[in-house]
Parts: sequence; structure tokens; C-alpha cells
Amino acid sequence: MRLPRIFRTTPFRLTLLFLALFAAAASAFLAYIYIATAGEATRRTDSEIQREMRSLTGAYDRAGLNAVNQSLIERAASERPFLYLLMSPDGRRISGSIEESPVEHFEGEPAWTTFQVSDVVGGRTVRHPARGLQERLSGGEILFVGADVGEDQAYVVNVVRALWGAGALVIILGLAGGVLVSRNVSRSMVSLTGVVEAVRGGDLAARAPVRGTRDEFDELAAGVNEMLDRLERSMAGHRHAGDAIAHDLRSPLTRLRARLEAAYLEVEAGRGDPTQALAQALEDTDGVLKTFSAVLSIARLQAAGTAPDPVVFDLAELAGDVAELYEPLCEDKEIEFGSELARGHAVRANREFIAQALANILDNAVKYTPAGGAIMLRVRRRSSGEVEASVTDTGPGVPDADRTRVVERFVRLENSRNQPGAGLGLSLVAAVAEAHAGRLELDEGPGKLGELGPGLRVALVLPRAV
Amino acid sequence: MRILIVEDDLEAAEAMERGLSDAGYACVRAADGALGLEAARAGVFDVMIVDRMMPRLDGVALVESLRREGNATPVLFLSALGEVGDRVAGLQAGADDYLVKPYAFAELIARVEALARRRETGSVHTLLRVGDLEMDLIGRVVRRQGKDIDLQPREFQLLEFLMRHAGQSVTRTMLLEKVWEYHFDPQTNVIDVHVSRLRSKIDKGFDKPMLQTVRGAGYRLDA
Repeated sequence: MRLPRIFRTTPFRLTLLFLALFAAAASAFLAYIYIATAGEATRRTDSEIQREMRSLTGAYDRAGLNAVNQSLIERAASERPFLYLLMSPDGRRISGSIEESPVEHFEGEPAWTTFQVSDVVGGRTVRHPARGLQERLSGGEILFVGADVGEDQAYVVNVVRALWGAGALVIILGLAGGVLVSRNVSRSMVSLTGVVEAVRGGDLAARAPVRGTRDEFDELAAGVNEMLDRLERSMAGHRHAGDAIAHDLRSPLTRLRARLEAAYLEVEAGRGDPTQALAQALEDTDGVLKTFSAVLSIARLQAAGTAPDPVVFDLAELAGDVAELYEPLCEDKEIEFGSELARGHAVRANREFIAQALANILDNAVKYTPAGGAIMLRVRRRSSGEVEASVTDTGPGVPDADRTRVVERFVRLENSRNQPGAGLGLSLVAAVAEAHAGRLELDEGPGKLGELGPGLRVALVLPRAV
Repeated sequence: MRILIVEDDLEAAEAMERGLSDAGYACVRAADGALGLEAARAGVFDVMIVDRMMPRLDGVALVESLRREGNATPVLFLSALGEVGDRVAGLQAGADDYLVKPYAFAELIARVEALARRRETGSVHTLLRVGDLEMDLIGRVVRRQGKDIDLQPREFQLLEFLMRHAGQSVTRTMLLEKVWEYHFDPQTNVIDVHVSRLRSKIDKGFDKPMLQTVRGAGYRLDA
């Protein structure tokens, strides 16, 4: 049998646990009070009975049976709260306020007993508990002295009853409170549980509502949402990376296979030169491997979402270093190379990846700028606070419509088909930018100037390190 | 020269042994990390080639153990893991160089050679001399046949590396890694341009060219 939902919630269970603890503590407390007060009342009554007994036996020893008898009659008539019974040695009643002794087997030793006395109050018989002591007098007669403990006992019983009542009230209120709290908490949990169940069912787009109360449930919901965002991105990245690698390697491998097959047939027919075919195949293999590592780098960056081992460094300094690698290449191609590097703008990034991104941008610029053209490298701080490294060239540029496309992998525009490269350069730059919370921007260069231009401006924009 | 090859891929190890033997090295093979550690403890080697991922004891643990025992034999790490972090971890473990699989054989030979020779020229020199070419490391001056040669700072570093490895082939990747400290592969062969510039400065006007291009491998500075 399943309990209603509300009784299965954690807050309700906690409430029950606390109630149980409280009830146990309260019972122990009650037991202690009962034992302490009830025992105390009995002890007090007993000592009063004993005192009365001493006074009566004293009178007997001094003045004999008649004096005691007289005294009993006087005492019974007074307001004293005691019950008396004087009996002959064989147990017959001589005098007293009760008819017979409540002590059933009297051996002669002083005997204590607890018994009931009846009282008629307003037509109703009320029974009280009572205590009594029976002793044999020195002359053989038997004397019983008792006292009604009803009032003391009744007080204790009332206290205990009140405590039980209070305990019951606490338990009822506690249960009600538990139900209320669990309902409240449940309402917050239900939305989260719903999200978890949706995600388990394969819906990665499910998100928990954030109520804006900034309590721990909101924090949990926000945390869960952020986790799901990352998970979704990462899963998409992995799926995409797998597809892309398979796709990206298939074409170069197909080319390599075709070339090897052709070479094999040529050699078999005794026509071709095997050395040349092998050298060609080796070169092709290197090409495939290069493509593979580039694709893998991009895929890993995209899947990870962030670049590993970031350090804080001056972007201008790194850009200057990379430029130094390419400067002689420009000179050889008769391209004017200039740079404006504003120092002191730090970025927090993976040096290796940023260096490679800058190298790829410069490489493209050198590749597509004809002799007589110019390349300008700039590092500056934008008014937005971001740091930008840009390369402007006077090559043919990229038409507006193609600018988002050239960043995609393996996209090479018509006029670049005769240039070496696999078409992964800018894709890697874009992946690097994204992994650093930055972006890659493509704009028109300085414009048309005779044979040159309109050129291309490629900018790697990164957040400034704080 | 004795080389210890610690590689669990039998075919790769055999190919390596064949190539290195052809190049004049004596090779010993170990098929996993634990055997490799035993062999390294038992024998004296000039260079160890250690695969990164192996059964029983991986390359990193092997090199760490050796270094703890005070064994300073130069180690070339081979690994299929080429990411920045992997390389740094390998070098931190105590490896001296790191080569990512797959590699060209010329690259492996050049790196083994560089590691093997490093021991001989380990002492600190302030003056490097190769044939009639002189480099004063303190005064930052280069002379050939007594004539001063004016070099840019990077050209100076490039020449220093070539002189320290005179007579050995050095690959473009090695130059990019050791002189420029970049570990990526530039699309255009920028290194060639830098080398040809340096060549025009140290060889032009002298009858014997020193800076040779080694086909399929890279460059070599000959006396």
C-alpha cells in the first residue's frame, strides 16, 4: 500500500521523527514527575500516620486502654484527617471511625497497607485511595491509623492528565505543521523533479522555473538549469564533432585511396614509377594527418567549450611574436607589412591556441594578398573593453554573403582553390575565439585600389583579463 | 650509440628498430613499461624512446621512477596524445622531448640524434665554433672567416640552435618548437623562409655553403 504523497515527503518524515522524539522525551518527563510527586505524597502521608500512631501508643503506654479509647473518640470527632480503629487482641472492633481493618492478614508486626475508602458526596459514592498502619499495642489490643491520600493523589493525576493533554495537542499541531511545511517544500520540489524526469526521458531542453525568491530552491533550480545548459552544449558538441570528423576525413581518404589505386594499376601495367607514386601517397597521407589533427583540435575545443590551461598575458606581445614569424614571408612576397601593437592589454587565454589562431589569420592574409599589397596587424582595446587583434589585408576579400560561410569547416571560395590548405584555418580561429568567450569578426578591408582590394579585415576579439 | 625502445606495439617497435639500426644505432627493445624499467636499470643507454601508453607501467610512471633513482638518460616520449596539456605533463614527468604519433621517421631520427649528442655538448660554452663560423654568446656577435655577420635576434637564436646541433639533421618542427617555442603546425612553411634568410647571411659571399637542406628531413649545419 502506498501512502498519500504528502506523507512520503522528506519534511513530513522529519516532522514525524521529531514528534516521536518529542513524545519519547515527554513520556520520560511525565514518568519522572509522576514518580517524584506521587512518591513524595505517599511518603508525607506515611510519616503523618506514623506520628499519629506514636502519639496514640504513647498515650496507651502512659494511661492505658481507656485513655486511648477516649482520645480516639475525641480525635474522630475533631477535624483531623485520620481514620482510626481500635480492636481487641482477637480482632473485634472496640471503637474507631471505620468498621473493620483493611489489613487482611495481621501477624502482629506493624503493617502498612494501601486501600480504598468510600465517601458519599452529593449522593454519589466517591472512592479515594488511602494509606494505613496497623500495630499491636503493648497490652495486646490492635490499633489501626489510616489517612485519606485522595487529595494529593488527585492533584498528581490532574497534573499528569494536563501534561498528556498538552502532549497530544503538541503532536496534533506538529503533524499539521509538518503537512503544511511538506506541502510548501513539495511544491518547490515538484518542478525540479519534473525537470529531472523530463531529462531522464531524453528531453535535454527541459528547464526548472526560477521564481526569483533567491532561496535555496531557486539556487538549486538555477544550478540545475546551468548544468543542463552545459550538458546540452557539450552533447551537441560531441555529436557534431563525431559527425564532422567522419565527414571531414572521408573525402581526403577517398582521394588518397584513389591515388594509390591509380598508382598501383600504373605500376602493375609497368608504366608508372613506383617511387614517385609512393612519394605522392606519403605526401597525401601527411595531408590527411594534418587535416585530422586540425579537425580534432577544433572538435575538442568545441566539445570542451573552454580552452585548457589559460594564463594571463599581453596580447600585443604574443601578436608581435607571431608577426615576427610571418614578416620575412611578406617581404619575400613583396607585401608591405605593418603593425600597431598597443601594449598592456592582457587577456586570459591559452597562449598556444591564441598563437595558432593569429598564425592562421596571418597565414591566410599572406596567402591571399598579391605582391605589391599590404598587411596590417593591430592590437588595440575596444571601447567595449574587449581586446582585439586584427589583420587587414589588401587581397580580394570575402563577399559579404560568404563571410559566415568561410568560417565553416572545409569551405573554400572559388578563387582560393589553387591555394594550399584544407580550409580549416578560420574554423580553428572561430573555435579558439569561442572557447575563450570571444569571437571572430570578418569585415571589408581598406577598399578597392586599382588591382588591389577590397581586402579583408579579420579580427579576433577577446574579453580583457580582469 | 645504444638506444632502448620501450614500446608495446610490436610492429611499431620493429619498424623503429630497423630504421635506427640502419642509421647506425644499437637498439634494445622492451615490450612494456615494467620490462622497460628493468632494462633501463640493467643497461647503459644513450637515449630511451618511451611510448606514453603501455600496459603494466605507463610511460609517465616509468620516467618518473627512473628520475627518482637518479637515472638521467635522455628520454624521448612518443604519444598519440598531442594536446598542450598532455605534452606538458610528459615533460614534467622528466622526459626531454615529446613526439606525437604518427611521425615521419626522419623526425624521430633527428630528435634521437639531438638527445644523444646533447650529453657530449652539455657543458656551458660562451663561444660556439663550427668550421670557420664563430658565435660569441656573451657579446652576441657572429663571425665567419673573421667577418662580422649582422643577425636579427631570432636569426641569432636559430643559428645558435643549428650550431649546437652541427652535423645533425634538424627538422622544421624541431626548429619551430625549440627556437620559436610554438607547438602547432603553421600552414605555410614559414620556417623555410627564416632559414633561407639566415643562409643568405652566413653563406653568401663564402665559397663553401654551410647550411644544407636535407631532403625529406630538414636542415643541417656542416662545418
